[in-house]
Amino acid sequence: MRKVTETDLPGVGARFDLRTDAGRSVGVVVHQSGRRDLVVYDERDLDRACESVELSEDEGHTLGEILGGSPVLEHLDDAIHRLEDLVISWITIGANSSLAGMTLAESALRTRTGAGVVALVSDAGSIPIPGGTERLEPGDTAVVVGVPPAVKAATRLLTRPG
Amino acid sequence: MHIGGDLLIVELGAVMLGLAIVARLARRVGIPALPLYLLVGLALGEGGLVELPASAEFIEAGAEIGVILMLLMLGLEFSPHELVVNVRRSSLAGFVDLVLNAAPGVVAGLLLGFDPIVTVLLGGVTYISSSGIVAKLVADLDRIGNHETSVVLSVLVIEDLAMVLYLPIVSGVLFGDTLVGTIVAVSISLAAVLVILGIAYFLGDRLSAIALSQSSEALLLTLLGVTLLVAGLAGRLNLSTAVGAFVVGVALSGDIVSHARGLLLPLRNLFAAVFFVFFGLQVDTRLLPGVAVAAAVIAAVCVATKMITGWIAGGRAGIGTPGRLRAGAALVAHGEFSIVIAELGIAREHDLGALAAAYVIILTLVGALLYQFSDSLFDAGHRRWRRARRLGSGGASTRT
Repeated sequence: MRKVTETDLPGVGARFDLRTDAGRSVGVVVHQSGRRDLVVYDERDLDRACESVELSEDEGHTLGEILGGSPVLEHLDDAIHRLEDLVISWITIGANSSLAGMTLAESALRTRTGAGVVALVSDAGSIPIPGGTERLEPGDTAVVVGVPPAVKAATRLLTRPG
Repeated sequence: MHIGGDLLIVELGAVMLGLAIVARLARRVGIPALPLYLLVGLALGEGGLVELPASAEFIEAGAEIGVILMLLMLGLEFSPHELVVNVRRSSLAGFVDLVLNAAPGVVAGLLLGFDPIVTVLLGGVTYISSSGIVAKLVADLDRIGNHETSVVLSVLVIEDLAMVLYLPIVSGVLFGDTLVGTIVAVSISLAAVLVILGIAYFLGDRLSAIALSQSSEALLLTLLGVTLLVAGLAGRLNLSTAVGAFVVGVALSGDIVSHARGLLLPLRNLFAAVFFVFFGLQVDTRLLPGVAVAAAVIAAVCVATKMITGWIAGGRAGIGTPGRLRAGAALVAHGEFSIVIAELGIAREHDLGALAAAYVIILTLVGALLYQFSDSLFDAGHRRWRRARRLGSGGASTRT
């Protein structure tokens, strides 16, 4: 996370500022009423708000989602999270994977690698805790859990031929 | 009785219409309307253009309600927690503000030969900026996001808190006749304020939950009833009604606050205007020429001291030169509280009323303009300074 400076505005709410690498400053004033002001600071006078746009709470949420990308997808990007000894990996199923198109039962992924598929994510939606009849469609994402060597093996099977 | 009643209504109607015209004019020119309401009061008062025989009493009662509502709304802006945090963080800026800006009033009081109590009151008049006018200027000019605004607001919070201690003290001093009597009165006042603040701090949430109602009518009446009662009792104890109302505002927190604000705002605007008219009415306009020079000099000094206050407070918060100037300019406007303080001493020293009226009118207008144009003033000054430096170095180079 980038460094954000928070400043109290007594009687109004709080202000959050962020300096960009390019040297510009942007900020958000969060009013007690829920109203937000999106503020852009002057290039020459970094304390002066040269532009201020009033947003309702709802508009603020929408803008935040657009700017941040979907927060869920953001997490997919960094692929692997460590949970104690377990690893969770988000694997895009390769088109030339030998398992592509098979159902989970046919792939026998868990018996072969020791890693389990806990969710399948596709454009159509996601299937948490998929059953044996769900298919490993190329291009979809399989969320795989296991100890690191098992997940590594599963990743190889799901992305490469043979 | 009926004829008198009709005249009262006619007078009130005429006064409000007059205020409406003034408010529209102020809006067009881009200055705060409050000091102009004061001018209307001056024009109608003793030695003024027209007198108001029938409505004077009503206006006086309205003015008292105006003070109470102004302080109630101010208190609503803050939670007790926020006040405590702010005092810890900005106490130095607040201290600088107090010393620099009370001094001109106190010195002027001594030079003008006012008695000690009136001198202390004049110190209060010059010290306290107008939270109401400043907040409105900041919002109108869209400067809430500016970095110096948090500094300005913090200083104002400290000032408001200082008022909460100052008003009971001077009320006690005005009330007590002997030294011992004065000390007792002041101690009782302060103790009572601390007790009420303590109740607000610890029980505020629970009391707010009880007061909250779905019916806005019931809520409005509850709020007004409680506030007037507490303020009135505080007044009976010589604590100043204003402080009572402020504390009620601070004690209310949570969901009730936004409802209360919406309900009270139109009432506050109406009665605050009445308050300014009333103060103007009390001032003997024939005294104005005599105090004009003094008021102008004190105002000039205070513009400087408030600018210095903003400069110092802004510097401590790491704000750049233009922002520090804006912080200073924002603090220049004086208004409702200077008048509330002057009101306490007007019976003791008639000059104080005229002086405070002139002072507030000058500072509010100057402050509003300075705050609006401080950036262009800074740019102009900066350009001139650079040109002068270039010319200076150019001259030096031709000589070598």
